[in-house]
Amino acid sequence: MSVTQLKTHPLMPNGQVGRAVPRLESLAKVTGREDYTHNLRLPGMLHAKIVRSTVAHGRILAIHTEEAKAVEGVHSVVTCEDIRAIIPEPFFGPAFHDQPILATGKVRYVGEAVAVVLARDPHIADAAAQLVRVDYEELPAVYDEVEAATSNVYVHETLKPAGTFPDLKHLEGKRDTNVALDYRLIRGDAEAAFARAAHVFAHDFTTQQVMHTPFEPMISVAEPTSAGLTIHTASQSPSFVRIEMARLLKWPENRIRVKTSHLGGGFGAKLYIKLEALAAALALLAGLPVRVALTMEEQFYTITKHATTFRIKSGVDADGKVIARRCDVWWNGGAYADIGPRVTQKSGFTAAGPYDIDNVYLESVAVYTNRPPAGALRGFGIPQLVWAYESHTDLIARGIGMDPVEFRRKNILRDGRPHATGTIMQDAAIPEVLERTAERIGWDQPFARGTGTIRRGRGIAIGFKASISPTTSVAIVNVSADGSVTLYSSTVDMGQGSDTAMAQIVAEVLNVPTEGVCVVRPDTDVTPYDMATLGSRSTFHMGNAVRLAAEDAKTKLDQLATELGLPARSNIPVDQLFKKKYGMQAGNVIGIGSFIPSYKSPDHDTGLSDNVTPFWMIGATAVEIEVDTETGHVTITRMVNVCDVGTPLNPKVVETQISGAAIMQLGFTMSEKMELDAGQVTNASLADYKIPSILDIPHLMESEAVVATQHSGPFGAKGVGESATFGVSPAIANAIEDAVGVRVTALPITPEAVYRAMRAAANTPLEDF
Amino acid sequence: MADLRTISFTLNGRPVTARVAPHHSVVELLQNEFGLFGARESCGQGLCGCCTVKVDGDPVSACLFLAVFLEGTRVDTVEALAKGGVPSIVQQAFIEAGAFQCGFCTPGFIMMTERLLEEHPDPDEDLIRHYLSGNLCRCGTYPEIIAAVQLAARRRSAARLDKAS
Amino acid sequence: MIPFALEEPASLAEAVRLIDPEDPTCRPISGGTALMLMMKSGVFQPSKLVSLRRVEPRFSAFAVTPDGGLEAGALVRLGQLERADAVRAAFPVLADTFRVLSNVRVRNVATLGGNLAHADPHMDLAPVLMALGAHVTATGPSGSRAIALADLFRGYYETSLEPDELISGLSVPAQAGRRSAYVKCTTRAAHDWPALGVAVSLAVKDGTIEDARIVLSAAVETPTRMTEAEAALKGAPIGEDAFRAAGAAAAKAAEVTSDVRGSAPYKTQLVRVNVARALRKAIASEGAA
Repeated sequence: MSVTQLKTHPLMPNGQVGRAVPRLESLAKVTGREDYTHNLRLPGMLHAKIVRSTVAHGRILAIHTEEAKAVEGVHSVVTCEDIRAIIPEPFFGPAFHDQPILATGKVRYVGEAVAVVLARDPHIADAAAQLVRVDYEELPAVYDEVEAATSNVYVHETLKPAGTFPDLKHLEGKRDTNVALDYRLIRGDAEAAFARAAHVFAHDFTTQQVMHTPFEPMISVAEPTSAGLTIHTASQSPSFVRIEMARLLKWPENRIRVKTSHLGGGFGAKLYIKLEALAAALALLAGLPVRVALTMEEQFYTITKHATTFRIKSGVDADGKVIARRCDVWWNGGAYADIGPRVTQKSGFTAAGPYDIDNVYLESVAVYTNRPPAGALRGFGIPQLVWAYESHTDLIARGIGMDPVEFRRKNILRDGRPHATGTIMQDAAIPEVLERTAERIGWDQPFARGTGTIRRGRGIAIGFKASISPTTSVAIVNVSADGSVTLYSSTVDMGQGSDTAMAQIVAEVLNVPTEGVCVVRPDTDVTPYDMATLGSRSTFHMGNAVRLAAEDAKTKLDQLATELGLPARSNIPVDQLFKKKYGMQAGNVIGIGSFIPSYKSPDHDTGLSDNVTPFWMIGATAVEIEVDTETGHVTITRMVNVCDVGTPLNPKVVETQISGAAIMQLGFTMSEKMELDAGQVTNASLADYKIPSILDIPHLMESEAVVATQHSGPFGAKGVGESATFGVSPAIANAIEDAVGVRVTALPITPEAVYRAMRAAANTPLEDF
Repeated sequence: MADLRTISFTLNGRPVTARVAPHHSVVELLQNEFGLFGARESCGQGLCGCCTVKVDGDPVSACLFLAVFLEGTRVDTVEALAKGGVPSIVQQAFIEAGAFQCGFCTPGFIMMTERLLEEHPDPDEDLIRHYLSGNLCRCGTYPEIIAAVQLAARRRSAARLDKAS
Repeated sequence: MIPFALEEPASLAEAVRLIDPEDPTCRPISGGTALMLMMKSGVFQPSKLVSLRRVEPRFSAFAVTPDGGLEAGALVRLGQLERADAVRAAFPVLADTFRVLSNVRVRNVATLGGNLAHADPHMDLAPVLMALGAHVTATGPSGSRAIALADLFRGYYETSLEPDELISGLSVPAQAGRRSAYVKCTTRAAHDWPALGVAVSLAVKDGTIEDARIVLSAAVETPTRMTEAEAALKGAPIGEDAFRAAGAAAAKAAEVTSDVRGSAPYKTQLVRVNVARALRKAIASEGAA
């Protein structure tokens, strides 16, 4: 059913990079022996059960814990007042220090953690948690992102930017606003260009709040140690957790040890800091290991993907060239900022799309609301933007009577031309991805339109993303005296195959088999700093650091040979080198690599930068669909996903990343939606929140990585994990219009939405409810 | 805990006993008493299949199965499939087809596939999809899973033919 | 889950005795799939469960009778029926329904009695059995009685069983050439609960529909016969006109509710379309042996 045509990509000289190496941890995963953090049990460990807010916005008047404390087997009941004894300022977050470890004073969304019951037996903690009562004075709440931007219901009294990011500093102490960040980009003169445009098109699009639902639910286990504290956590960013915990506790970093295992999925849910501060505070208070493990339901109250509203307007000249574009994007950040303000800016600046447009005016605002917080989810905001600008692109093409692919071709952004920020495009195979996608789907071929109640259509869409910058990765490669090689890196393998890809880089440089390279799991006492595993940055950033570390080790081995009087690059086995040097099997060679790309922060007033990102990711999707005109059901019969991933390090892993990303976005397109009733999520379970099953995917799925090279990447490679999410949603909406002539502008595309649109178009609208 | 009782059953071919309370699930029992983590709780509702084990030969959701009900049964978990470090045909097919990413759902898919191929040695794609529709993979490796099941079916047929000849 | 007491009686009579009709926190458990979900989510917190798993083996047995009917104990697991060739031959519609009913693991555990007594309106089996004219046997302290499926479901998660009555068996009459079909219509993902279930059973002769049973589920509060639509089909020649008329009649009569799977007006349209589709599917199917 799946046809893959990863174009022939080069195998590097030592046969490691470019080879479809099965994941190094394959055997552990198929035998059930993978040691997820989920499996960890420590002597004396207490289980934590969180008591959550039942109101969307309210002042906490009292927390009644006596009844719960009296339950036999309960160790303690903890509130924020208890935590203040060890962490006087218990507020965390990567962009803003706005999130309390447990609610204090106020609650800002339904599901917010208010108190915790600790017990040896998790069932007792569960039972006792139900006995904790909280009195609230309810306050008015605000849920919609556009409304919240100007509402006088304020989620926070003042803005508290973290200070980590220079471009957030101006927000410090700002009062009476829900806007956590307002990014603006001004290129040329959009208003003047609209005035002279032959056609002007304006549309509104929305996306819904969704959740990552990683299958290993979020978990952190904290353990007091003689040095201080060890946190075992299913985290995508162990280095960040350590730094943030050190700040909260006012400890030096080296007293805190953060360890991760392989993660049972992440997708952005396990980024920055989530349960770690709570687990750490509880462990320090109790003097015992504490396990904070969420259920699938609780994940919906912890982190989500931004709902958005996007108003987009374009001016087009008589030849079909887009000469002006205005974008206004509102990001529904929920009650706490998490990384939302970064999403707003770092993705926001691409909101005008992968097109060559001289005049762009763009505003992108992060807005606090009384919903569960939103952060990064596979694409860092890009899929929400592409949904709007590629739906809009199709509407323009139809509006001016031009073929949608031809219209894109005419306006596409090519290498050597400036992006809206002013950065000159480089190693961005946007035209190639568009052409290959059109070719694979057979855009120029005749297409059967269906008969009777089944109508067929096809659609195409393309999007792009800038890598988040500036970020740092550090790696260590150790060559032992027997020649075996170990890699120390804090990149977290959550399923994307990074351990394998990094091992391939080491193996290629040192000319050893990949399968023999040991990759040490992230452990901040052992593995060096890495910013985080996010935004498809690891292949490029950590990949470069690993390559440098391996090359450093190789250089040192060569120096050792020279020192021993052997000709450089002689093929003497490595173990013989060490034996010769030490007279026995002893010693090691350590290679170190550190990588940070150059970057220039966008100007505060214009949003412009001539070096806004180290690399671009490109993804396009084309689909063939069938619409049941009696019910609005849409069946995707064929899906083609084409990406620019540079040169794949591991073609098999790349293929799975492409199809997997597209399938995830298919869920966000067709079925997934967090239903909210007065701020309460009413479908926080897989029974009622429907992710795609094996019956929901297209019978034909095709993946392709175009022939491309990221010249600054390791062996020509760059990020892979998100690119295939970009085009999925608008490609499907475009195909629906192709099939039945109606346009859906809100996600998810339910059968009812399609059916209603058809009835409205036929002038026989279906009554509301 | 009140009302602990002792149950006896066969776990991966060995007779075992355990002390359980009525509200303990099979997942808890396997993890806490036997150190078997291949069946794991994710959705907690029997929908994702991460907790799949076989009871008397039939796959069940161990997160919805009370441990006390194992009395007298035969329980098989994913840990028993590989013999002497050699993966089963199905496990090997999953590795070769690259049919997982994070791996959290993988034991469940493998346990289901083992049973599918016992019942239907030569399943068509439609049957594979229906049989596995109660297992979810958030990484979206479904295309590779279908390929893995087909590969395993071919290898099992070949192995049967070899035995027969 | 909250700790609770568990009884495991060796006879059905003993189980009936152990169930306290005055205590809503005391309930029977067989397969337990639905009950476990309610317990894990905290919707139901039992003080005592009475397991039926050790009652007399006859309640776990089933047989297709010589005339082609089905007699099954309440503890028969759905998967047992699904895999039985005799059941498949006598009731092709049951095999077709099991394919889309929850998943393999649930079918391996869930029992007939538990499935029906749970009375969740989204269940797939209840409308089909209703269309087939089935009845259950209910057993209580004072003996057993037969309840037609049509009389079993009283409302949303509500049955006509007395608090101390258990479903002990299921009887499905021989179908004598009737043609049946079930259509499960989902609106989000394929593995969702149905937005609408439509079960139909037809007696046809010489190109004419002699008798029709049409049952809706999921979109309505409880599985419901569509008597107007059935009347519209009686004596009608097989064909699109009849199917459409039945769909329209059902759409007019059904008291459809709104939920996350669709608004009432939309689900009414689904009724209109899917009743016709179910009738088409039944006619295209092979009649029961």
